[in-house]
Amino acid sequence: MFICLTSAYEYETKRDDRQLDMLIAAVGTGDREALAELYSLTQVAVYSFCLSLLKNAQDAEDALHDTYLDLFRSAEGYQTKGKPMAWIITVAKNRCLMRIRDRQKTAELPTEDWDRVSDTATGTDLNDRIALEACLQKLTDEERQIVVLHAVSGLKHREIARVLEKPLSTVLSKYHRAMKKLKAFLAEGESA
Amino acid sequence: MKKRDVEKRLKTAFASATPNVLSAVLSDCASEKGTVMKMTKTSKNPAWVRRAAAMAAALVLIVGGAFGFSAYRATHAVASVISLDVNPSLEIKVNKHEKVLDVIALNEEAQIVIGSMDFRDSSLEVTINALIGSMLRNGYLDDLANSILVTVDNDDAAKGEALRRRLADEIAAALQTSAFSGAVVSQTIGADAALDDLAAQNGISKGKAQLIQQLVAQNTLYSFEELAVLSVNELNLLLTANNTPLENGEVTGIASEKSYIGTEKALDAALAHANVLPADVRHSWVELDFDDGKIVYEVEFYVNGIEYEYEIGAVDGTIVKAELDEHRQVAAPVEPIGAAAAKTAALTHAGVDAANARFEKVELDEDDGVAYYEVEFIADRVKYDYIIAAVDATVLRYKCEPIVLAPADTADAAIIGPERAKEIALAYAGVSAADAQFEKAELDRDDGVLSYELEFYANGVEYEADINVLTGAIIDFVRDDKNAQRPAQTTPAVTTSPVTEPPITTTQPATTFVPQTTPATTTQGQISAEQAKSIALERAGVSAADARFEKVELDYDDGRAHYEIEFSVGNVEYEADVDAVTGAIIEFERDIDD
Repeated sequence: MFICLTSAYEYETKRDDRQLDMLIAAVGTGDREALAELYSLTQVAVYSFCLSLLKNAQDAEDALHDTYLDLFRSAEGYQTKGKPMAWIITVAKNRCLMRIRDRQKTAELPTEDWDRVSDTATGTDLNDRIALEACLQKLTDEERQIVVLHAVSGLKHREIARVLEKPLSTVLSKYHRAMKKLKAFLAEGESA
Repeated sequence: MKKRDVEKRLKTAFASATPNVLSAVLSDCASEKGTVMKMTKTSKNPAWVRRAAAMAAALVLIVGGAFGFSAYRATHAVASVISLDVNPSLEIKVNKHEKVLDVIALNEEAQIVIGSMDFRDSSLEVTINALIGSMLRNGYLDDLANSILVTVDNDDAAKGEALRRRLADEIAAALQTSAFSGAVVSQTIGADAALDDLAAQNGISKGKAQLIQQLVAQNTLYSFEELAVLSVNELNLLLTANNTPLENGEVTGIASEKSYIGTEKALDAALAHANVLPADVRHSWVELDFDDGKIVYEVEFYVNGIEYEYEIGAVDGTIVKAELDEHRQVAAPVEPIGAAAAKTAALTHAGVDAANARFEKVELDEDDGVAYYEVEFIADRVKYDYIIAAVDATVLRYKCEPIVLAPADTADAAIIGPERAKEIALAYAGVSAADAQFEKAELDRDDGVLSYELEFYANGVEYEADINVLTGAIIDFVRDDKNAQRPAQTTPAVTTSPVTEPPITTTQPATTFVPQTTPATTTQGQISAEQAKSIALERAGVSAADARFEKVELDYDDGRAHYEIEFSVGNVEYEADVDAVTGAIIEFERDIDD
């Protein structure tokens, strides 16, 4: 007999676009609880993408924070097209690009220390670090962004093509290319 | 290790690295008060910055000019070296008037091409035309291998670039024969001792070395030595396959794949070996690549949740490598098990009787070639969520969560009790119990979640709070500052609705945002993937034989099921969304890839 304890088991929900749309609409009315729920559903996607662009954990954390403020401010004007995640990621992308432009102005190149994990994260183990390191070292910037958007943030290739403003064929081939590289690298560390 | 495993690894790695900045975000939002901010940022550089920039630019021009044009060059001095690589590899040295000083063969084939021709004092145009002509006559450039690499070496970058562009156009024109069109890879190059060494060690020209270097930089699976033996045509094909942008140059025309069997035949060979029918394939992917010293087609496809990977010899169509994902041994048909079977599987796993269960949702969906049912039901005050594999009813994922339905069940230790709820609300409001007067403290149920609804006054301010009885989390909180008297309608001046602690990995208590679940959908009354494909092909005016499908996926958008289809014909890409019930075309896109 299967017994369900009072604390719920967790699994990863396939994100419901309808739910996101409703949450964004609620955020547009100034509802901060909706923002909190939206945050919990999308924070990994947004953070991962920021990290793939900025390659620096502290910057990515700041961009994460700023992105949700931006979402809060501009949710009122959001028109649903059935692709809420793409909108969220675009807001994040613009935030990151602004940050990159600022970096260039001050001619400061932060060290690419993106495996330094923030205190508020649950903490990465060795396997996680290896995976993150592979992403940084083995992939080109474009490949990394595409891989993160598809494998981590769950965007479809077509959405990725629109967000990154690249042709679909480029996105598809870079994704497969990147997957090959990662497979080769990550499989090395395993006995099987 | 399969692609799916890599994706899973990345997901967990990033999830664990994600920091929690929610409280900072929420407190910053509070100061915003939820008004929409117009994000118009016009950052103008102050006038002095602009003037300084202009002066700096002018200075660069002057300096550049001084170095570039001051030296007098004797007619015998070499101004540019132009290399041509196909298989034959040769160098043309010209002076600054573009008169040929010498033509040097770097390998035997180049010797054949040059033959007994003497180009000294000829113009560059005449020399190049003669050499190209010789290559054509000798069969080094033909329909099967049509790529040529042109490298311009000139100390003056601007002149080098201009020359490169001119030569690329001229050579492309010279290769525009009646039998075939050529592909020209042109690039500029500068002094580079390391590159010289690399070229010498491998017995190739500097230009070819630079080209290979770029390919190796883009793809860590390639090694320089392996690529050094390839022809320019093969390198050009790899450039395209890797989508590598050429630094210091460009590619015109298309490298010939005619000596290879082609992507269609490669896919057929793989399918035949796997004993799989083309109709059963959900996603397929074919790409030319280079592995273990061979040019191969890499073929990947999904059938029934099994992922296959093949390498097919590009010239002879032999099976070089074959792999499949062993985790799912499926002999099952392509048809999914059906909603009823999915429900039964979930009920069995949960140990729940069908009679006790009230189903909220049974929906077919798909992710990366794996079809599954989402099943949600409530039984005995517990909410169950299941993901059931559509192919064989395996339970892929599950979750359960208790719902307290009966308010009288205060014997349950999990409920926090009214006094505690009041404490929580007061603490949040920053109000002491002594100052507060409670108007209301009662249990309420919203969407299966039991909460205390509290209303109290303190210091002329009215507060309303909803506290979750299980977790003590604040579901809703309103602070009305207008006046001490109860207003006719409760319209709060300031609405603050925080959530106390949003942990990353534990469940959120159900809020008022539980979305409307769609009624149970079945696969009846839906068109098949094959039908959807035909509809899309018809709309495109294209036959199935000509089309190469990249994606055929069932998806849900706005409660409506549709097929997302992507295919290409030559260099034209098509995307179509076909309604799964009516077969109507919801969206259609056509893109020419130049």
